[in-house]
Amino acid sequence: MASDRVLTVSRAMAEAIGQEMRADPNVFVMGEDIGAYGGIFAATQGLLEEFGEERVRDTPISETAFIGAGVGAAMSGMRPIVELMFVDFFGVCMDAIYNMAAKNIYFSGGNFKVPMVLMTATGGGYSDAGQHSQTLHATFAHIPGLKVVAPSNAYDAKGLMISAIRDDSPVLYMFHKGLQGLVWMASPEGAAAVVPEDSYTIPFGQAKIVRPGKDVTIVTLSMMVHRALEAAEMLAKEGIDAEVIDLRTLVPLDRQTVLQSVAKTGRLVVVDEDYQSYGVTAEIIASVAETDPTMLKAAPRRVAYPDIPIPYSRPMEQFALPNAGKVADAVRETLDLKKAA
Amino acid sequence: MPDGLWDTAEIPEGVVANWFYADGGEVPKGATVAEITVEKTSYDIEAPEGGRLKIVVPKDGVVLPGTVIGKIGDG
Amino acid sequence: MAPTKDQLLWMYAAMAKARYYEDTMAAAYMEGKAPKFDIGAGTVPGEMHLAAGQEPCAAGVCVHLRPDDAVTATHRPHHVAIAKGVDLNKMTAEIFGKKTGLAGGRGGHMHLLDPKVNFSCSGIIGESAGPAVGAALAGGMAGRDSVAVAYLGEGAANQGAFHEALNLAALWTLPVVFVIEDNAWGISVHKAKSTAVKDNSVRAKGYGMPGAYIANNDTLKIFDAAGKAVKRARAGKGPSLIEIETYRYYGHFQGDPEAYRPEGEVEKLKAKDPIEKLRKHMIKKGGVSKADADDALEAAKAEVDAAFAFARESAYPAPREALDHVFA
Repeated sequence: MASDRVLTVSRAMAEAIGQEMRADPNVFVMGEDIGAYGGIFAATQGLLEEFGEERVRDTPISETAFIGAGVGAAMSGMRPIVELMFVDFFGVCMDAIYNMAAKNIYFSGGNFKVPMVLMTATGGGYSDAGQHSQTLHATFAHIPGLKVVAPSNAYDAKGLMISAIRDDSPVLYMFHKGLQGLVWMASPEGAAAVVPEDSYTIPFGQAKIVRPGKDVTIVTLSMMVHRALEAAEMLAKEGIDAEVIDLRTLVPLDRQTVLQSVAKTGRLVVVDEDYQSYGVTAEIIASVAETDPTMLKAAPRRVAYPDIPIPYSRPMEQFALPNAGKVADAVRETLDLKKAA
Repeated sequence: MPDGLWDTAEIPEGVVANWFYADGGEVPKGATVAEITVEKTSYDIEAPEGGRLKIVVPKDGVVLPGTVIGKIGDG
Repeated sequence: MAPTKDQLLWMYAAMAKARYYEDTMAAAYMEGKAPKFDIGAGTVPGEMHLAAGQEPCAAGVCVHLRPDDAVTATHRPHHVAIAKGVDLNKMTAEIFGKKTGLAGGRGGHMHLLDPKVNFSCSGIIGESAGPAVGAALAGGMAGRDSVAVAYLGEGAANQGAFHEALNLAALWTLPVVFVIEDNAWGISVHKAKSTAVKDNSVRAKGYGMPGAYIANNDTLKIFDAAGKAVKRARAGKGPSLIEIETYRYYGHFQGDPEAYRPEGEVEKLKAKDPIEKLRKHMIKKGGVSKADADDALEAAKAEVDAAFAFARESAYPAPREALDHVFA
């Protein structure tokens, strides 16, 4: 009997991890405050109670050491899930991620596996300032050898996490803080979702059309899926029918779904909370342009974070952050319509 | 017979942080049906019985000890 | 080294000011965040890390410093900024996100920077260490006898940046004082569960510098150890490490449920309030009159009240100002 049970993204993540830990004794978790605290963003709630300190390990503030250790453990037969508390902290430990986790399969000609999941919190919009609000999708998607996933809702969150844990390659699991369903941070309606109780996987490299439409293609991921859907609602009232694609995974990237959609609509808007230049929005547009630029009836548009450090003060932060209004304006531009007053 | 769920929290007011079943949804006995926060701490509320859920206090609603936040039962 | 009467009064004022500031900020922070706590809502949105209880670490060290001495601090910076002499109006306006703030609202509470008194801080654990080494290097290159002080938490002593900075400072004989505020908790993880040694002052020896451990948040002992470290640095003899056993009265961040804290811990810590201790000492043994102590306290509170009023009355920046000052 199918259940109607709804989970928040954070509970879906914890459930996925718990199920895999029950199924496979090689899976363990480590990171800062992931034990008794249950993770600052609630991704590991309940796990210490069930599995104990040996398999659910609080670490010192030593990212280089414990992420490096994650790589080593993964190469020695374990399946570690390591949490990097805020993606912004990658600066102190990037070598372990991009030079070791990402490259050791290649350097060994496929003889070593690196089945490590590195989960990390992204995103802002709640005044946490420049070193605690970044999204950085492109920074990691750009590194060959790293799979990168970013769920927009609890159903995808659980399936993608189980797939990530079972993957023999390193997976960077980027979860947006504002989607977690934390009691102390607002989250959009659609983030929590009905989540099946059993284990299920979602394959990587399969984008999802979360709203079919015929007039314009909006491609996005993570929190911005919700802003795009809000924009689509606004546009529907004006008779504009937007198709919204949730990429779900950046590496591997499902270019096919994007191309098929743009072939149908002829108009493209890409939305990303990460900094604009040199990022996801550019990659999607380039993929379309180099396949067949004549598909486009209008210049494509990007709605992304401006190339500035994230400001603290609310009016400035809200000015910079992509939102539904900006997405709708971008759509209207592709249709050569005036912006809303 | 409708079954009441009520707050087991401490003295100050709390907030319904999350519902894990939709209004009208079928809830198994013992399932975590809601989450309440009181003074920065969260509490999971379990369904004392199985049945159809009627939400009385929606998400973000303020509650006091003894507030009925939902009912489970027939009809 | 014992403080003079003036130094006692200065430290008391700095500590009282910091305490009143943090308590005032705690209340301001909760405006607009009840009954449902939403971190992004209210007068002071975002994260907030308060240092009530840790005042001796700031006052006992900064009493020895000049405006041209650099201080780098952490995500819990207010008490240090106050002791260093950061403009209180501009600092408070910054925390409120106002146009009149130190950075016009771009930085907020974890990113308070004031070149006038050479104060800066960072939200990344351990990242206060490197820049202090650099400031010390620059002072020497320019022929100054300035010193640099890096504040860190006990959690940061397990971060790579800390270890590298200590080695570099000792190797180049730089005038740096590393001050570890050991408040025992790295969010929810106790020092005993994060650090392989009981006290970080023993690590100093491993890096070629003297180390001191000050127990029990003792302002006078901090004054003494810091005075010696600063004197040593200014004399060109190189860096030192001081670890101070201190305590935070509030959670790691405001809104922290603090389930990890043993029952009654905070009450016990409040019973040994270092500000009360210093006040008693300075009146009884330091030659400070009760009237002078009361005046200092009143003046400190008035300055804080004025700063909060200034912040509240100031305007927000125009949204478009977000695009300014990316580059010099």
